Amino acid sequence: MAREATLARPLARPLLTRRAREVLTGYLYLLPVVIALGATVVVPIVRAIQMSLYRNVLIKPQEYGFIGLGNYARLLDDDVFWLSLWNSFYWVFGSVSLQFLGGFVAALLLHQSFQGRAAVRTLTLLPWIIPGVVVALIWEYLYQPNYGALNDLLARAGLMTDKVAWLSNPSLAMPAVIATNVWRGVPFFAIMLLAGLQAIADELYEAARVDGAGVLERFWHITLPMLRPIIVVATATRIIWTFNYADLIFVMTSGGPANATQITSTYTLLQAYSNLDFGYAATLSVVLLLIMLAFTLLYLRVTRGVEPVA
Amino acid sequence: MRSRGGLDTAERVLGGPVLWAGLAALTAFALAPFVWVLLASFKTRAELYATPLVWLPTSLSLANYVEAWTSKLTPFSRFFANSLWVSSVTMVATTAISVLAGYALARFRFAGRQTVMLVFLATQMFPAVLLIAPLLSQWHALGLIDTYQALIYSNFSFTVPFTVWMLVGYFESIPRELEESALMDGCGRFGALCRVVLPLAAPGVAATAIFAFVSSWSELLFAITFTSQTEMRTLSAGLLFMVGQYEIQWGQLSAGVIISTLPVAVLFTVLQRHLIRGLTAGALKG
Repeated sequence: MAREATLARPLARPLLTRRAREVLTGYLYLLPVVIALGATVVVPIVRAIQMSLYRNVLIKPQEYGFIGLGNYARLLDDDVFWLSLWNSFYWVFGSVSLQFLGGFVAALLLHQSFQGRAAVRTLTLLPWIIPGVVVALIWEYLYQPNYGALNDLLARAGLMTDKVAWLSNPSLAMPAVIATNVWRGVPFFAIMLLAGLQAIADELYEAARVDGAGVLERFWHITLPMLRPIIVVATATRIIWTFNYADLIFVMTSGGPANATQITSTYTLLQAYSNLDFGYAATLSVVLLLIMLAFTLLYLRVTRGVEPVA
Repeated sequence: MRSRGGLDTAERVLGGPVLWAGLAALTAFALAPFVWVLLASFKTRAELYATPLVWLPTSLSLANYVEAWTSKLTPFSRFFANSLWVSSVTMVATTAISVLAGYALARFRFAGRQTVMLVFLATQMFPAVLLIAPLLSQWHALGLIDTYQALIYSNFSFTVPFTVWMLVGYFESIPRELEESALMDGCGRFGALCRVVLPLAAPGVAATAIFAFVSSWSELLFAITFTSQTEMRTLSAGLLFMVGQYEIQWGQLSAGVIISTLPVAVLFTVLQRHLIRGLTAGALKG
């Protein structure tokens, strides 16, 4: 390493050795990130854990005090918490599986060569890039019982006689918010899988063709195995992201009607914003964090065995 | 799948009618909701609440846009400026922090480097709701409620882990030899980073910077929690505020939705190629 430079200038001996200066420079470069994430992630997480051990309801300051695992005990008895966990599972599984299927189909279509491919690609990826509130409001409007487009279309097609209140019907609300999330998330899988498809060498397909493999066989024996690593990474990322994601449901239904769309992350927001119960909200978010950490460890174990593409 | 000749029947059907029908369905699925809101943003009150539903506005009236932009209760011009400022500063600061950190992690030898990388990966998976209550009390104690700083600093919690993680990958893909010659010429580490590494990593750095901008532009929960005054709201918070406050004015709201969408949609359309290559590179590496 650059020893010539040192030899060329044998001036005063530096205070620190070259190696020590390298290490110091390295830490200096890391200093901003340590401060930024220390103040916005590390300290808040420690604070959240601490808050979860206190009774801390903003409108009842006289009750403030250390209660140990009291909030956690309350959580075990809280039916809405268990319901929210079940709903989270429903929300994540419904959203991610349909996003994956839609994204896969979209990626296969966009991978073909046709006129105007670049334009179609850009347009179909748009739902992914726009703000969550915007997605929520667009769909709230589409679902609006009296002036919304969906009821009107269904009525015109003769598929519906009475107006349906999509977001205030307990059995339809969850499918409705999942449909919205699917619209939003299909482009994510499309982009990821398209990148994966483009990384597969054409020669593989040519060789298979020479061997007489049909379209389906090539898909099954080349496309799917080659995409496996990216499928694992994209799906796991998406599962975690969807589990944590609260914006869509928070804006569209606030977890209602009657907790039908209450997932654990919106339930946490409800405790903080509506009940001003910061202790219990912190408890819920710590539990959310533990679930995510467990999933992340599992994911890291699984991906360790996955060979990288390209 | 597209070489000349030797196509079997399945391929001809898949490449022809199925492809075109699929593309039409895909485009309609992605765009129809936008078209609906875009049309609504031009409609008059009478058209918005007519039965049976009026699909096409009679004229391309900009009244809803003007009203939303200049409204005293929900001033979208102000929300727009707030979003632009918060997202731009977040982008610049995130990029500066992450370039330094990414370079250090890619080039210097540390004890526990692997652990640090795992922490960056894990941080991306933390739920945002976890940070809301502690950050609120923190910003409150520091007197930062209703300031841009509170929003910008909070945004680091989700922009920085991702950009550092991505940039380490980019920097590692640049051969060390290129820098070593610069170091020999007496450039110093920082000089080598600015003059050799950054120009080569420019597409990656740009992609992560745009990511930071777009994700801050979309941010909702911090924006509604750490601001209470109308003039401090971002677009996302302003839109939500508009819904919560009155009977929903779908015309103005649609105009607000289009205003909030346009900048990121344009950015994405122009930079699409770079952005996608930049953001999928990490996943491809596994």
